[in-house]
Amino acid sequence: MANQKKFIARREELPLKGDSTSLFLQIMISIAVFLFAVTLSGVLSINTMLQNWNDSILGSLTVQIMPATHFNQEKAMAETLAHQDKAVAFLKTVPEIEKVTPLTDNQLEKLIQPWLGDGINIADLPMPRIIDVKLKKGAEIDFIDLAAKLSQATPMASVDNHKLWLNKLIKFADGLKMLALSVLALVIMITSGAIFYTTQTSLGLHKYTIEILHLMGAKDTYVAQQYARRTAILGLEGALIGLAIAIPTIFGIGSLARQIEGGIISEANLSIAAWGVILSLPLFASLIAMLTAYYTVKQTLQKMM
Amino acid sequence: MLNIDNNSGSIIDMQNVGIRYGQGPEILSDIKLSLKKGSFHFLTGKSGAGKTSLLSMMYLAQKPSRGIVSVFGKNVNFTNRDSLAMLRRKIGVVFQDFRLLDHLSAFDNVALPLRVCGMEEREVKKRVMELLQWVELDRSIQATPATLSGGEKQRVAIARAVINRPDLLLADEPTGNVDNDIAPKLMKLFVELNKLGTTVVIATHSEKLITDFAYPRLHLQNRSLKIFAPNDFTGMGGRHG
Repeated sequence: MANQKKFIARREELPLKGDSTSLFLQIMISIAVFLFAVTLSGVLSINTMLQNWNDSILGSLTVQIMPATHFNQEKAMAETLAHQDKAVAFLKTVPEIEKVTPLTDNQLEKLIQPWLGDGINIADLPMPRIIDVKLKKGAEIDFIDLAAKLSQATPMASVDNHKLWLNKLIKFADGLKMLALSVLALVIMITSGAIFYTTQTSLGLHKYTIEILHLMGAKDTYVAQQYARRTAILGLEGALIGLAIAIPTIFGIGSLARQIEGGIISEANLSIAAWGVILSLPLFASLIAMLTAYYTVKQTLQKMM
Repeated sequence: MLNIDNNSGSIIDMQNVGIRYGQGPEILSDIKLSLKKGSFHFLTGKSGAGKTSLLSMMYLAQKPSRGIVSVFGKNVNFTNRDSLAMLRRKIGVVFQDFRLLDHLSAFDNVALPLRVCGMEEREVKKRVMELLQWVELDRSIQATPATLSGGEKQRVAIARAVINRPDLLLADEPTGNVDNDIAPKLMKLFVELNKLGTTVVIATHSEKLITDFAYPRLHLQNRSLKIFAPNDFTGMGGRHG
């Protein structure tokens, strides 16, 4: 019989596809995933940035040699350089230190150039000398002990391990990160709440069908699974749309950040792992939507006989 | 000690059952009833006498306001939701208003009780086609209820009620809308099911049905239930007074 072949396409018992809450849910999830992706990219960038700072700072320190004061500039310079040599000689004996590099006149000029402009002769100024010290990988050093020993070698030397200014930046970045994480938590809560209420509304819309299913012997799980399946698909579709809008936005913000000179923000690049997390958001959103719908249905149906 | 479950062999057992809606008066009071396995009863009473309320307690759509209702030996007040669902799978119901799902075809409507139980699709197809042919609806398997006549809808509703070979069949005016020639055929189906062990309760206003099929009768009047022997038409009104 021709008819027999056609009916194989089984229709869903709960007609959730055309229901008015579906579109709302999809738009809601799109917006949530967009906000989530953009905020998360911010958090992950800050993380990368902090990591970069830590990596570069932990492995290095700076030794400063105060300039000798003398009426004769040449003598003063010679004395300062002598102190520098003593410091370098001492630093080279420390086993945790890999490399000791005194900054050349040229390098020092470049450092002060933003403040004093071009055409400065470093020899005419009572300039401190700077020694860049690279520590061996993984080496831990007692800075106080090092500073004490160094001052014995030359009283004009002082050690700066960058911790002071870095700590302030880290605190600022941590504050930003906490703010972003709060936004993420808020987005999850609002989205789950929206799914909870749309699912309840939908249960109200389909009360008649659900009653019939119950009378036919359907368990709550049977109804909940249909909702979970549908919400997971809606969630995935909505999330993919949200992510599709979020990716160019993230690139846009990234390119704006790179235009800011100064080197701090430009270090906030997303790693491959961070992109992996952002690209997996639709699956995560779909899973949350599915679980929220499932447990909302189970909880709401408990109130029916 | 409280006796939670009843294993006396009754399919349905009611003790001092009363039912009311909200704060209103009791629709049914002090109902005592025991339906043995394999019994066949008609249920009569004027409109508003509480037939549908009594049936709805039997098919576990509502709990009594007071008293004890046991279905298949389980006290419904102490049975959890999943167990109630399992009990409902043993009950077939034909509703007066059919209660078909309008967005589903006749086939899918009839298949519903089987799919809810998780039956394999091949077996579902075989059983549903067989039954739809038997109730002469095999040409309308794809039709949605909106395109079916009242009689056809009723046959779909009956097919849905019996597809799972229920242990208990409850029917509310099952032959009210069908043509005169198909009504006896449907009644024959109920009788055959009863012979195979299904307990049957049919709510009806049809004196002809009660006369043609001599089964005992549960009669609701003044909120209480009385049981009459076959062919005893007390309280029916009409020609039997």
